[in-house]
Amino acid sequence: MADARLLDEQELRADGRHELGALDLARRLPSLIVAAKDVAATVMHGVHGRRRAGVGETFWQFRPFTMGEATSRIDWRRSARDDRVYVREREWEAAHTIWIWIDRSPSMAYVSSLAMQPKIDRAITLGLACADLLVRGGERVGVPGLTRALATRNIIERLAEAMTEETRRPGFVPAELPPPHALAPRTQAVILSDLLTDPAQVTQTIHSMSSRGALGHVVMIADPVEETFPFSGHTEFLDVDSSATLRVGEAETFRADYINRLAAHRDAVRTAAMSRGWSFTIHRTDRPASEALLALRMQIEAGHSLGSYREAV
Amino acid sequence: MFGLPLGFSAPFVLTALALLPVLWYLLRITPPRPRQVAFPPLKLILDLKPKDETPARTPWWLLVLRLALAALVILAMAGPIWNPLPASEGQRGPLLVVLDDSWAAAPQWDQRVIAINERIASATRDGRPSALLAISDGARDVVLSDSTRATERLRAMKPAPYLPDRMPALQAITKFLTTNKQAEIVWFADGIAGGNARAFAEGLVKAAGDQTVHIVRGSHTPLALGGADNAPGALEVRVLRADASGAGSGQLRAYDLKGLAVGETNFGFALGNETKARFELPIELRNEIARIEIANEHSAGAVTLLDSRWKRRRVGVVSGASADVAQPLLAPSYYLTRALGPFAEVREARPGTRDPIAAILEDQISVLVLADVGVVAGPAHDQLARFIDNGGVLVRFAGTRLAGSSDDLVPVKLRRGGRVLGGSLSWDKPKPLAPFDRDSPFFGLNVSNEVSVTRQVLAEPEVGLAGKTWAALADGTPLVTAARRGKGLVILFHLTADTTWSNLPLSGLFVDMLRRVVALAGESGAAPTGGDQTGANAARAESVSPTRTLDGFGVLGVPPVTAKPIPANYDGPACADYPPGFYGPSDALTAVNTLSRSDKLEAVSFDGLRLDMQALRPSEPVDLRPAMVTAAFLMLLLDGLASIWLAGGFGRNGRRRVARGAAAALAVGFAIAGGLSDIRPASAQASAPAAPEYRATQRDMEAALRTRLAYVITGDRTVDEGSRVGLSTLSRELGRRTSLAPAEPNGVDPARDELVFYPLLYWPIVAGRPQPSVDAVNRIAAFMKQGGTIVFDTRDAMMTRPGGAPTPESVWLRQLLAGVDVPELEPVPRDHVVTKTYYLLENFVGRTTIGQTWIEALAPEQGDPSSRPARAGDSVSPIIITSNDLAAAWAVERNGDALFPLVPGGARQRELAIRGGINLVMYTLTGNYKADQVHVRDLLERLAH
Repeated sequence: MADARLLDEQELRADGRHELGALDLARRLPSLIVAAKDVAATVMHGVHGRRRAGVGETFWQFRPFTMGEATSRIDWRRSARDDRVYVREREWEAAHTIWIWIDRSPSMAYVSSLAMQPKIDRAITLGLACADLLVRGGERVGVPGLTRALATRNIIERLAEAMTEETRRPGFVPAELPPPHALAPRTQAVILSDLLTDPAQVTQTIHSMSSRGALGHVVMIADPVEETFPFSGHTEFLDVDSSATLRVGEAETFRADYINRLAAHRDAVRTAAMSRGWSFTIHRTDRPASEALLALRMQIEAGHSLGSYREAV
Repeated sequence: MFGLPLGFSAPFVLTALALLPVLWYLLRITPPRPRQVAFPPLKLILDLKPKDETPARTPWWLLVLRLALAALVILAMAGPIWNPLPASEGQRGPLLVVLDDSWAAAPQWDQRVIAINERIASATRDGRPSALLAISDGARDVVLSDSTRATERLRAMKPAPYLPDRMPALQAITKFLTTNKQAEIVWFADGIAGGNARAFAEGLVKAAGDQTVHIVRGSHTPLALGGADNAPGALEVRVLRADASGAGSGQLRAYDLKGLAVGETNFGFALGNETKARFELPIELRNEIARIEIANEHSAGAVTLLDSRWKRRRVGVVSGASADVAQPLLAPSYYLTRALGPFAEVREARPGTRDPIAAILEDQISVLVLADVGVVAGPAHDQLARFIDNGGVLVRFAGTRLAGSSDDLVPVKLRRGGRVLGGSLSWDKPKPLAPFDRDSPFFGLNVSNEVSVTRQVLAEPEVGLAGKTWAALADGTPLVTAARRGKGLVILFHLTADTTWSNLPLSGLFVDMLRRVVALAGESGAAPTGGDQTGANAARAESVSPTRTLDGFGVLGVPPVTAKPIPANYDGPACADYPPGFYGPSDALTAVNTLSRSDKLEAVSFDGLRLDMQALRPSEPVDLRPAMVTAAFLMLLLDGLASIWLAGGFGRNGRRRVARGAAAALAVGFAIAGGLSDIRPASAQASAPAAPEYRATQRDMEAALRTRLAYVITGDRTVDEGSRVGLSTLSRELGRRTSLAPAEPNGVDPARDELVFYPLLYWPIVAGRPQPSVDAVNRIAAFMKQGGTIVFDTRDAMMTRPGGAPTPESVWLRQLLAGVDVPELEPVPRDHVVTKTYYLLENFVGRTTIGQTWIEALAPEQGDPSSRPARAGDSVSPIIITSNDLAAAWAVERNGDALFPLVPGGARQRELAIRGGINLVMYTLTGNYKADQVHVRDLLERLAH
């Protein structure tokens, strides 16, 4: 039977939720940051141009000068080589804005003996790594409701600092879902959460976020124990963010029911995501973080092209 | 209860055991606390109704544990007692306890007293009076009394140190039983047959009539010591036991008169009830032994006391006859040695000693036997006189020399010439001995008629001759006379110690007489004889009062008031009047033992008698309550741990909490365990201080792996460099010319470095250097003893002058070797094997050629020298001393440059020096091999045939 536990206060404090956040940041976040950088480095950022001429720095093509164009656009060096006049075109490189939401609610502070990491650690690692990856790819990254979209090289430190800062705010309660504000078009959202809330609430959040056409990616982080329900015998289950308990005489008789319920829940969330064209991924904490990051990157890339496609249409 | 010696003080509590099934039912439906698991997705299933609300059953083993716990508590409440008091058996008459209080009951005396106390207490509970009779009380009337008085009387009783007869007690019992017909008779028997046990038992059964006689016997088989014998080589002790079956063993301890332990020995019974133990100690220690006891057998029978009769004395024997080794049967000392051997340590003067009497007096003897020594004169006479005055005993035997002339060291005046009986010129027949007089020390010995005397020396008739006479012939002529002199005695046998004058030396009487004489040696000062004849008689006739006696437990103490003085020469076993112990003044103690030399122990047999046999209870009642409560508590702890485990407490979730709890529980458990059991201090602290260990260095490892030469670092740089290069050259040449390929030589410091790896040590002497420490010298000596060879090179051949003062180097070397066991040395002889081991050499040259080389002297040659071209000792000479500065001559750099010029010089000299070095190395490595090589032709021829 797998062992599972909640992170205790000390471990949670290490995430910088309390007064000593700054000190703990030095203790804990560096390791997460390093982990995030490591993970980000394993995913090489590919060509990220728009594959079309536009505002950018990279050379795209020479094309013949058409009458009526500003003469300042003529590339005289190229034009001097023959009789025609050429214009140098650069590839259009437009920066996207990507909002990353990292769920830090109590239910994330959970780890079982089967997992490699607590869910919250995995979420922060993934989020920061993703941010680093995107910033290096020329995008701007922000945390909704916390920071504006940033494109600094030390994006990991900035986001971590901001999160620590937030936890030190009096009366701070970590929210499970991002604030349901409509995102600007052509922005993307990444939601890293266990999404163990009411599916209706999830649906509402996604709908309001995407109301202006923003795309998004939902990564559902799950502990292996939550999927397999490896309990038996006389067991008392405790909820993590309420005082609800459930005493069960024979836990093994609950497994089938639970798995059905979980599947239904996931289906509901998936439907909510798919209905707005958002991607939905399930990531288990017994899998390496790089796996989820790679999938996430591919989907963000796909989101880009989808966005471009939409734009083109 | 159930055949077990188990009882309960509150048995009604046991009815609570009937409640256990109820408890079982309750426990079964009350499961342990469920394990708690945090589960974030709980919301998903919170509304599900559990399908099966029935909780898991309590595991069966937990159920058993808890039931056992409850049962233990109930049992503990009932007050369990192991070995409870015997229940009363419905007797109505008074209780008569008959107690064997001989020494055999002493080892289990306390248990007997406790058992009797219980019997009396039990009888008192039933309102029965009791009577107590100890066997040693004899025919005293048996009186009924209440328990207090009986207990007090019992407490005052002690075992008697002898074996009392039971028959007088039987009369008292019979008398008692005629008035108290209903009496319950319990006899606490000691289990040995002595003291009419069987007859007493029969009488008891008869007197008891239809009442059953209970006999309580101890589980312990009494052991006893049946006398000791100071045999040659060891003190032998007879160990007896009453039970003849099975094996057994034990330990004997010997103490001297002051109570200090002298020795220990073990004994073992294979079968039978008698065995012997031997104290193999030096005679001085054996003579010190005054008390021997069986370890852990606290009874008077297990103690045997030894007085001066058991002492072995050292007797010196000097014969006046010229030593004739070829015919020992003709020598008087032969008979004396054989006769004295069984009870004394005989010393004889070594043949060829110039003054045998003086030499043997040095040997701390107590008796000196002079066989046919006529006159002792000069300093030996004075010494002998002093010896006797100081308490020594001189025993002289007559002979032709004594008959011819005698000195003043004889007890009586002798008539010159002697007397021949039964000879061809005599009317008389050979005379037998007269029975010994009462006053004689020989009194009591059986005079054999076969002893006859054909010749003797005669005493001049004088006043007091009769008092000096210890033995006489049948016609009254004195045969053994004795006189006091100073503190000692002079005794004269008017016979020879051999068989020429009589056949007394062939008889057993001779041995006995000598034994008595030798026994006098210790007490000669105390027992005056000779001149104080009347006093001596008075002393002899006088009885000896007890000094210290044994009690029943075998402890020496003040004699009881009932003890009576023993007659002198009392040799029987102890009895009520003569308790065992030491009698007489402290310098002439007489020992009386519980058992005589011939006593045997036998177990009493009650076969065929109508008796109720009971075993003496081996142990006291034990209250089991504390043990049970402790066990219950431990089980409670175990139950708590099990509950925590069942609730998932040992998982990751609550590891710290539970670890803390478990640590506390364990601490409590250990504290209890510690309180219950006697935790001894760890003996680990007594580890002996480790001896300083020798640590092999890297250098030693290398030196051990390859043979190499070594030189001693003197501290003089030139000399050390010369030694190094010289030995290096020599090693190179050895590798080139011979099959030996030594590694590079090592420089060593004998004070620090281990030398055993080097076969040859080259030591150039530099006079100015300080001498090595004592430790270093010891190591050098050890190196030489272990087979190493040191070549000392004084390098002073040029300075030495024949007959001149020794050079500083020689002085230095002599000082060094003063602490070393150096064999005799000689200049290397022409035929010494060292000159032939590889090259044929005449001498060993170095930088100089004129110096002498010394080597261990060989044994002088035997046989024809020409047949053996080479000689060798059995081993390699440990030391070779030269003065030719060998290493300087060897020292040649690799490019061929010599380090030192030679005197007189020349390539030939350098070559010879190298050859000499090679010979030395070969000599140290092969020893006398080359010397044996000369026989190879003969050996081959012998093999061919």
